[in-house]
Amino acid sequence: MTENGHIIAVENLNLWYGETIALRDVTMNIPYRRVTALIGPSGCGKSTLLRCFNRMNDLVESCRINGAVNFHGKNIYAPGVDPVAIRKEIGMVFQRPNPFPKSVYENIAYGPKVHGMKDKKQLDAVVEKSLKNAALWDEVKDRLHESAMGLSGGQQQRLCIARTLAVGPEVILMDEPCSALDPIATAKIESLIDELKKDYSVVIVTHNMQQASRVSDFTGLMYLGELVEFGDTRQIFEHPREQVTENYITGRFG
Amino acid sequence: MSDKFHDEIALLKTDVLDMAHFARNMLSDSMKALVTDDEGLAADVKKRKQELNDRHETMEEHIFQMIALYQPVAKDMRSLVCALQVVNDSMRIGRYGKDIANTVKEIFEQPVIGNFISLPHMSELAISMIDDAILSYDREDITLIEGMSKRDDVVDSLRASIFRECLTYMMEDPGTISRCIYYVMIARYLERCADHGCKIAEKVYYMQTGERIEIK
Repeated sequence: MTENGHIIAVENLNLWYGETIALRDVTMNIPYRRVTALIGPSGCGKSTLLRCFNRMNDLVESCRINGAVNFHGKNIYAPGVDPVAIRKEIGMVFQRPNPFPKSVYENIAYGPKVHGMKDKKQLDAVVEKSLKNAALWDEVKDRLHESAMGLSGGQQQRLCIARTLAVGPEVILMDEPCSALDPIATAKIESLIDELKKDYSVVIVTHNMQQASRVSDFTGLMYLGELVEFGDTRQIFEHPREQVTENYITGRFG
Repeated sequence: MSDKFHDEIALLKTDVLDMAHFARNMLSDSMKALVTDDEGLAADVKKRKQELNDRHETMEEHIFQMIALYQPVAKDMRSLVCALQVVNDSMRIGRYGKDIANTVKEIFEQPVIGNFISLPHMSELAISMIDDAILSYDREDITLIEGMSKRDDVVDSLRASIFRECLTYMMEDPGTISRCIYYVMIARYLERCADHGCKIAEKVYYMQTGERIEIK
């Protein structure tokens, strides 16, 4: 299923928003069932790159892309590829928790239903499993039919992760999943990420370098639309090869 | 991490260098006291032990605080690791200086033999290794520590030869035993001091390159 332990292979990816180039010739591999962090200053293209992995940039009108993002060896930008099918395989969790204004149960069951699951027992099982895998089950099992909007921010974010898990993806993309959470909720999400990599490949964009160093196995540093350095997280934080990386992670930027 | 942090790292480095020189001088002064039979200087070295301890504690505390408050990475982290190593090794070097100072009075109560044999030479070598290690930390220049391993080998072999030489004196005349035992002990202290110089050099190398080497 994977080539040389990679789930996604990015090849010479360039991206423009109108006339502005946002990604320059990015080539990288996302390791299978590992956590990969993308770091870099604001506007460096890390979120843009993340959004390329499941074609979220399709929604931006002026966006133009060349190069390839290969998932299981097939370019997801090839003609005839259904972005909805891609997003089922490659799910995404956003910066702010964005549960649907529905019950906890319906939030999770929504995706599987859209993809055609009808059987109540089957749905019950998916909801329970997803909530368990997102480390939220114990906290919500007695309030499955109450509104998800009543959950705390950290719970809502784990609900969104559970919602992503419910459709059975292989890759989970996280765009600053903890930036709206307090340190305790953050710690919960971080240990959850550690659990998730047993079954999923995770890519996380974060502004928090300590978070990148805590949760990820591999780290990529983006700067001005380029992937400046990519490598083992320990190496990046102990002795980066590139001066730009050194300057960024030690706060000597500008 | 702000510029405040990098200013603080620079200040820390000045303090670390200061402590390293302080410790190094305890060692060199103790040897001077020994070969010139200067009991006053020996007593002075012994008195400096308290300040050495205080400096060590303060510096260590400062480094721990910087780690806790700023969570440094990359070169910043490596330079704090190196600073901690310099502080710890300096502490040991200074303590050996005090140990040598302690022997001065005892030694001169014994009959003179062999005019301190190779000890002054050995101490010059060990101190020059320490000096270069400290200088390489100061200037962030790893060329200064090239050849450290060979210099350490010379110091090690001097220790072995001092031991053998003392053994012959002691076998010849048991009256020399007390003094010879001090010589052997001092040779051991000096050898350890050179090793601490090597340890500093290793960490300077790590600070500069991110790679760990072993100098032996």
